[in-house]
Amino acid sequence: MRSIWRFTGRIGSLVNLPATPADLIPFIIAVITSHTFITIVFFPGFIHLMLVVMFLTWYERKVLARIQLRIGPLYAGGPGGILQPIADGVKLIFKEVMIPYKANKPLFIWMPLAMVFSAAVPFAVIPFGQHWVIANLDVGLVFVFAMTSLFPSMILIFAWASNSKYPFLGGLRSLFQQVAYEIPMWISALSVVMLAGSLSLVDIVNAQQKIWFIVPAFLSFVVFFIAVMAELERLPFDLPEAEPELVAGWYTESSGAIFMVLFLALYMKLYLMSSLITVLFLGGWYGPAFLPQPVWFIMKTLLVATFIIIPRGVYPRIRVDMLIRIGWTRLLIIAIANVFLTVLMLNSGILSTWGL
Amino acid sequence: MDLGIPPDVPFIILATVTVVAAIMALQAKELIYGAISLAISFIGVAGFFVFLDAPYLAMLQIAVYVGAVVVLILFTIMLVRREVVGEIAEREEGGEGSMGLWIAGLLAVSIAGVAALAGSNLPETAPPANLPVSELGPVLAISYPVPLVILALLLSAALLGALVLAKLEREQ
Amino acid sequence: MALNPWLAIIIWAVLIVLLTGPLLTLPMFWSRRKPDPFRDMPFESGQVPQGEARTRLVMQYYPYLLMFVVFDVVGMFLFAWGISYRTIPLNASFLVLLFLFLLAAPLGYALHLALHRENW
Repeated sequence: MRSIWRFTGRIGSLVNLPATPADLIPFIIAVITSHTFITIVFFPGFIHLMLVVMFLTWYERKVLARIQLRIGPLYAGGPGGILQPIADGVKLIFKEVMIPYKANKPLFIWMPLAMVFSAAVPFAVIPFGQHWVIANLDVGLVFVFAMTSLFPSMILIFAWASNSKYPFLGGLRSLFQQVAYEIPMWISALSVVMLAGSLSLVDIVNAQQKIWFIVPAFLSFVVFFIAVMAELERLPFDLPEAEPELVAGWYTESSGAIFMVLFLALYMKLYLMSSLITVLFLGGWYGPAFLPQPVWFIMKTLLVATFIIIPRGVYPRIRVDMLIRIGWTRLLIIAIANVFLTVLMLNSGILSTWGL
Repeated sequence: MDLGIPPDVPFIILATVTVVAAIMALQAKELIYGAISLAISFIGVAGFFVFLDAPYLAMLQIAVYVGAVVVLILFTIMLVRREVVGEIAEREEGGEGSMGLWIAGLLAVSIAGVAALAGSNLPETAPPANLPVSELGPVLAISYPVPLVILALLLSAALLGALVLAKLEREQ
Repeated sequence: MALNPWLAIIIWAVLIVLLTGPLLTLPMFWSRRKPDPFRDMPFESGQVPQGEARTRLVMQYYPYLLMFVVFDVVGMFLFAWGISYRTIPLNASFLVLLFLFLLAAPLGYALHLALHRENW
């Protein structure tokens, strides 16, 4: 009997567990007082993210309204209806969550949380200023791409879990659309990586001190922008949620809190992609020094987000099979040709005129 | 990897999650839950790569496995018709589950026993190679050119084969 | 003081899940819950839903998925090369460009199949 206790004791000595919870306290204090904790909670962390995402929902409605010669949300309090997202949130919280007949309940409820997880975690590597980044990874860009590649499978599972034909077909189309435009997105970002020489997003922004990458890598910017608009399922790539065709696509059956969390995930993805475009092509936080760095970053990101939102009110929709075909045939070939072009450009020394 | 706390607690949590997810991937009655558990175990393996100072490999694992392979597995699951799933679920458990558990338990106890008996005389494992991400490219292109070309041929063959098979099946 | 970036990511991920989880589950407690068989039927623009909802998958775009798997791996390898493009000699880069060329054959075949609409 005693030998068994000695046995487990000897195993226990191989594992370094903190002996008492009090051992963790200095560690917890070190974490809370570190600069990283401020970035996690306040800026560019949780509070900033939630505020900007709510702002973006209002902003989109205002921009689209102005394009369509109307005013948009006006009455929700504050100037110009700025508290509209809060009103929407409160309404959605109290709505009934309808779970479709014979739907897969656990998956249906928890998938939106997984989507928010996959859309929000990449914000940890996006730098809003020289020191305003939660985690400066060496592999930052690939981390963002790996997290966004989780989306198609989650959409498929969510669409399957709502036991209904519209969402299922919409989910399939959405899956193929997002899968088709991931590769051109990656390969056009490859040119930026070649120009900057690093995958760390802080290094990529630092390499744009002399000139923003949109100038040497303009073709990459165009390809990346188109691919991002297809990834976000924004018009003109809107067929998975086309109202006359599929009601609301893969999220037809979601309502109430589930829809709210899903909506949050979609707008987080919009903010993520816009800030990624700013980091990769528009020089991140660089701007004349009379405004602090994060302000320049947010201004540029909002500009990019505006240009992503505007086509929704302007262009007609593209049919989904044409869309998928364009993604694989035209855009991928342009992206690969762009890699060769960047190789040529790097070797010919044109970049020295721009100081790279 | 220097976390600031001894790495044992995160390692134990990660290992438990990965192993439990892998077991559930095999044992789940509802195939979709199995696919999701498989995705979780892939993410767990990516966490192990991070522990071993190979972050790029971890990202490649997530992007390729969870991003692409799990989608293919989900498609395969959704293609299988409901009657076949019913047949699989109704077949009697031949006692393989409990036998697997016994073997795993025996292995665990023997390894733990050896570790306990050896005490602090455990042999040192080689520390993981500290290759920064910027060194991956040169190593790949300069030191291993032949595997790179073989990899290209292998990928081409796989892609061509899959496309031809899909086309032939379409024509039938 | 800056923490280990991976620890920061873990803390950030846990924070996100902890703060968004209640956003999802708490409203289920204070919202109206009366499952009504007619209201919970899948939405088909007003008509009675017919047939099984998880219909036979339309495997029209399946080859695109295969291409995605292959080009996923290719893309990740190209990123490893792209970082060090400026620091490695030119003939090593030519090797990776050869890697891309060798994939041009199946890519061309796939696009040939894609552009002839009767295939898919």
